[in-house]
Amino acid sequence: MSTHASHKKRTGLMDWLTTVDHKKIGILYLLSGGFFFLIGGLEAILMRIQLIKPENDFVSAEMFNQLLTMHGTTMIFLAAMPIIFAFMNAIVPLQIGARDVAFPYVNAVGFWLFFFGGVLLNMSWFLGGAPDAGWTAYAPLSTVSAGHGVDFYVLGLQIAGAGTLAGGINFLVTIINMRAPGMTFMRMPLFTWASFVTSGLILFAFPALTVGFFLLMFERVFGAHFFNADMGGNVLIWEHIFWIFGHPEVYILILPAFGIISEIVSTFSKKRLFGYSAMVFATVLIGFLGFMVWVHHMFTVGLGAVANSIFAVATMAIAIPTGVKIFNWIFTMWGGQIRFTAPMLFAVGFIPTFVMGGVTGVMLSVPAADYQYHDSYFVVAHFHYVIVGGLVLGLFAGLYYWYPRMFNRVLNDTLGKWNFWLFFIGFHLTFFPQHWLGLMGMPRRVFTYMSGQQLDTSNFVSTIGALLMGAGTIVLFINIIISASKKNIASADPWDGRTLEWAMPVPTPEYNFAQTPLVRGLDALYVEKTAGNGKMTPAEPVGEIHMPNGSILPFIMSVGMFISGFGFIYANWYAAGGGLGIVLITMFLRSVIDDHGYHIHKEEVEADIKGGRA
Amino acid sequence: MADHQQKSDKTVHRHEALQKKLALKEERKHHNVSFIMMILLTLVAFYAISSDKIGDSFAVMFILVLAVVQVFFQLYIWMHLSHKGHEFPIWGMASGILIAAITVASLMGMIWTS
Amino acid sequence: MHADERLTDANFPDHPEKATLEGKNKFLGFWLFLGGETVLFATLFGTYLGLRNMHMDGPAGEEIFKLPMVFVATMLLLTSSLTSVYSVLAMKQNRVKAMQGWFIVTLILGLAFLGLEIYEFVEYVHEGHTFTSSAFGSAFYTLVGFHGGHVLFGCLWIATLLARNWNRGLTLVNAPKYYLFALYWHFVDVVWVFIFTVVYLMGKVG
Repeated sequence: MSTHASHKKRTGLMDWLTTVDHKKIGILYLLSGGFFFLIGGLEAILMRIQLIKPENDFVSAEMFNQLLTMHGTTMIFLAAMPIIFAFMNAIVPLQIGARDVAFPYVNAVGFWLFFFGGVLLNMSWFLGGAPDAGWTAYAPLSTVSAGHGVDFYVLGLQIAGAGTLAGGINFLVTIINMRAPGMTFMRMPLFTWASFVTSGLILFAFPALTVGFFLLMFERVFGAHFFNADMGGNVLIWEHIFWIFGHPEVYILILPAFGIISEIVSTFSKKRLFGYSAMVFATVLIGFLGFMVWVHHMFTVGLGAVANSIFAVATMAIAIPTGVKIFNWIFTMWGGQIRFTAPMLFAVGFIPTFVMGGVTGVMLSVPAADYQYHDSYFVVAHFHYVIVGGLVLGLFAGLYYWYPRMFNRVLNDTLGKWNFWLFFIGFHLTFFPQHWLGLMGMPRRVFTYMSGQQLDTSNFVSTIGALLMGAGTIVLFINIIISASKKNIASADPWDGRTLEWAMPVPTPEYNFAQTPLVRGLDALYVEKTAGNGKMTPAEPVGEIHMPNGSILPFIMSVGMFISGFGFIYANWYAAGGGLGIVLITMFLRSVIDDHGYHIHKEEVEADIKGGRA
Repeated sequence: MADHQQKSDKTVHRHEALQKKLALKEERKHHNVSFIMMILLTLVAFYAISSDKIGDSFAVMFILVLAVVQVFFQLYIWMHLSHKGHEFPIWGMASGILIAAITVASLMGMIWTS
Repeated sequence: MHADERLTDANFPDHPEKATLEGKNKFLGFWLFLGGETVLFATLFGTYLGLRNMHMDGPAGEEIFKLPMVFVATMLLLTSSLTSVYSVLAMKQNRVKAMQGWFIVTLILGLAFLGLEIYEFVEYVHEGHTFTSSAFGSAFYTLVGFHGGHVLFGCLWIATLLARNWNRGLTLVNAPKYYLFALYWHFVDVVWVFIFTVVYLMGKVG
């Protein structure tokens, strides 16, 4: 049977470059996403230092434009999305009782494309200046921007975006096809549901962005005229395409955070999630409505009262399913045995903070009022409340919660609480005053302001808050270093978990489940715990397990894309063609080399079970 | 007895094979019919545009309808969306078409102010 | 039975493309990919429709589009879609030679379509309708070119697939690959249906 089981065990760096294991890819996503998160955070702090006092000259206006563009772009595409993919990779297959994702090889391709796209984009700092047209890259600002900054933006994000799209399809198929016996859709944990909907949004939102980037690239590199009014172009095409992608994108970001919060609130309240089916329905509904509201970013464009009204009403409607979620989290905690561990603290801090961001969102959805708020610091305050106060707090919560499963160590809870309070207080200090700044007329994206306009104090407080957030993040890194230096391995189920990712020993065996588990209800592990079993009932006898082989091709393919990206940026057609040639060759090799993976023998699995390793 | 069993197994098998063959033959017929239909639809569309007898604005609506009909032939007959086990593909295509429709509508209708 | 063993008439499953989990995953994943491609092409169509009258000093679509050539191209692609369906039917009956034959016809028709498209583009450029002549030019070549790029990729794909599996018959590993190619090819034809309708026919009436 296993005649072709020629399986080389790779070690060290080569293992990480060739891995197709979703658990390792999850760690790769987390490390690179975390790295870009630090860079994006540093850019934010530099901007805040510039704004600490009126008419400051800490950075130049040009530098400020690059910092604000790269901060937004990095945080959205290179920090938030990869960290979300980190948790999806590390946790979703475990939560549905699968041994891997549907396309392990494509998973690796997706990661390396994101990685090299991100590196390409950041190379711009060293090669004549970063993009400076804002993360939205509105035409004609982006089409006339001098230098190569915006070219780096277009090609870096195009490459990273291709990786994201591949990841989205992968998780959709994984969740549809690879669920363990008994794991019906309505028994899936909320994080898996959120990942499912998010992947769907990626599938239908990213192709629009792909085209948008192609148009911008053709305009800048090949002299096309999509956005050039002199030649019959129209800049609104870019705005529509960007926001047809861009609005679903913010739900792509926030839904997984909703999922994480749902898991944590339920676990640390020792109660099943209140209103599970309503939560699922709300998640799907938010995903659907997310596609119907993009014009609220363009209220001041002048599309007319009818268009503005329709999109205003659609936008307000999103508050309803979101409100359902907020109440369900509160009702889940109601009467529960709440344990305020670090992850729970982040989750509880998330709820009121996100509500505040939601409320300003409804304010902004009124077109008449939006004319006042548009492009002011009020908008900056709003989206940081939902993205930092919502998503980032959710990601911190998820990190503390799933860290034992991903890295086999528990993070120190006291340091975690320091992390939370520093970050949480710093966050509100930073962004709450920005509401006033906006209402008082301070426009967003300005590199300085005059004194005597009553903007000084709020800006000063805001900068202090940003430094506190930075301090909170440093505490997290101290915590990680301390946990890594300790010898003791986490227990398999440190939080008294309810879902399947806590049903196997630590470290997680490479095949996840020695025997595919039989799921007998929502909160599959908790069902077994209350039934007195304490562990999952297997759905199959112990047998041979089929595993995919690692491959270096995803890495090489992404290097090819990286080279080709440089070629297009500098209009060097040899490099552009050569890079694409490498991509085509790796695709060709992948299709002509037979690779059927290898098998882990029944005896090895039995030995693992006996030794407590599986 | 065992021999008898085997024999009836064989007939069942042959019967199944025959049924499968008939089904495939039926399928081939469907494919051929839809091919002819698609050619006809294309011809009608080209004629509607080339002919002077049909008004332009009507012709545009008409050929768009023909295109949609042709796409349904492709999706449901040639790409087998009508077969069992295509629930998720139908969901995927339907969602894609919905987003596609609003994208086209907005880029057509919301970029030039009147 | 092993996934890469040659299938025989005796053990031939009803749906060889979906007989393994890998096959099922590929089948579903590819359909979802096509859903995403629908949005991709819709964005290109939307851009084209928004800009199609903006030909500035260059020729308008009405003046340059040659319907007979477009009709021939349409027939080529439509027929190739039928031949790829014949391939899938042959595949379901384990008639490997017939399947390969129909796929080769598909490939040839695809290449003929590409040749015609290149000829057409060269003609247009001579008449002053270029990628940079106007917003209409940019949008036209981007939309039609993206479709042409898809046809080219499909030709490379089926050629590789046929060459690699020429002597291997049908297996549970390669059956899903053939099936996916056929889906892809139909989709490319679907896009063309809208291109000849929206770009060429509607271009003729302004």
